[in-house]
Amino acid sequence: MEDVQVTAMLVRRCVAGDAAAWEEIVQTYNRRIYNICYRFAGSANDAEDLTQEVFIKMYRTLASYDSSKGAFVTWVTTITRNLLVDHFRKTKQDRLTDSLDAPVSAHEDAQPLSEQIHDQSAPPDSRVRSREAGEAVHAALGKLSPELREAVILRDLQDFDYREIATVLKVPEGTVKSRINRGRAELARLLQRTYRQVM
Amino acid sequence: MPDHTKNDLTNGMQCHEFDTLLSDALDGVVSGLQLDRFHAHARSCSACGPLLAEVEAGRNWLKDLTEVEPPAGLVNNILASTTGVDSQRLRVNVGAPARVASASSWWERAQAWASDALQPIWATVRQPRFAMSFGMAFFSISVALSVLGVKPADLAHVSLRPAAIRHTYYNTEARVVRYYDNIKLVYEVQAAVRELKRNVTPAEPAPNESAPDKKEHKNDTTQQPEQKQERNYSQRDTNVILAGARRYSIAPLGPSVNGPSINDLSVVSVTTYRRFV
Repeated sequence: MEDVQVTAMLVRRCVAGDAAAWEEIVQTYNRRIYNICYRFAGSANDAEDLTQEVFIKMYRTLASYDSSKGAFVTWVTTITRNLLVDHFRKTKQDRLTDSLDAPVSAHEDAQPLSEQIHDQSAPPDSRVRSREAGEAVHAALGKLSPELREAVILRDLQDFDYREIATVLKVPEGTVKSRINRGRAELARLLQRTYRQVM
Repeated sequence: MPDHTKNDLTNGMQCHEFDTLLSDALDGVVSGLQLDRFHAHARSCSACGPLLAEVEAGRNWLKDLTEVEPPAGLVNNILASTTGVDSQRLRVNVGAPARVASASSWWERAQAWASDALQPIWATVRQPRFAMSFGMAFFSISVALSVLGVKPADLAHVSLRPAAIRHTYYNTEARVVRYYDNIKLVYEVQAAVRELKRNVTPAEPAPNESAPDKKEHKNDTTQQPEQKQERNYSQRDTNVILAGARRYSIAPLGPSVNGPSINDLSVVSVTTYRRFV
């Protein structure tokens, strides 16, 4: 049986009240949803709350899923994305892409992101260095505008194809490609100053 | 978006075409002559070349970003907030059919079946929103009963024997009939009093003669429209004024010796029209 059919069957069982089927869905998709939320929201606490909200919304609207209209993972990601955008609007964190020289906080004497990253001298241990690099990329990702960030997350971190991203974001494929390119370029520019030697 | 037309004709590719191909080229979808033109444009264009390098670098940075582990209790929290059942209990429940098969006595089988059947209901009941709805419903019913005068203590004395129920039914029916008769009597008395009043009071003066005329004017559409009808009278007041009040309004204070008293003034009824603009 194909994966799509298995998922559709799982959803039907879940709608019929099978608690074990619901648990299987939660087990299968919690990691993916948590990662999207974490990369988009930036903090682990927010990501945990948002993941729970996504599953609560999914649980309530599971009966509305139509397998003929698209893959279950696209449906789940659409719910996640919509909730993230709502959360973003509610918390008024809508930030445009900032330069590395721009202070992170509103205070004028706040340290720019580049200096914050640079101050942490890279230890010799490559694993720690890799972790630090990951943190730097995560911080830079959080500085991208929401439109660029969501496109980049779905493409480069979640391996969605352009058509799926276009479905989730409700924009044409050309716009998706353009956003991904701009997001990647902006991210590279943000990180270039800090890790010039690596580039 | 880069916009450099100077390079457009040198390598046969425009910047917007380069932009369109950028994602596909990085994904390895573009090949052959098109790929050669793409790279040629990247080499010659001062905007697109650096853009390609940045996009490639950004993609490489993101490639190195590993997945993060969700918190340990996330699944349990999700299950508790959706179905109200934690995963531990669910696993026990999933293993239930095996136990049923091995159970020998019919009583254990029935218990297992009942447990399976009631599990979804119990899971729903345990949810906070259900408890909240139940509480609200209970509160509403309590308020409604207290408003209607129903006391829960009285319900304890209600006998459910058939004879008692029949007795209550006849009692209630008799009470309703009595109530209806009383109301009927009241209406009859009221009607009689009204009739009496009508007979005692003298005949009212004939209605104003001009009223039918007005009506006729209203219905008369063949003539010119009446002047008064064009006005927007939304309210009409009838004020009673003293005809001679003006004459005595500036009279000195205190009782007048020679002049007429205020009680002697004739009363004239004047109708005024208030116009709202």
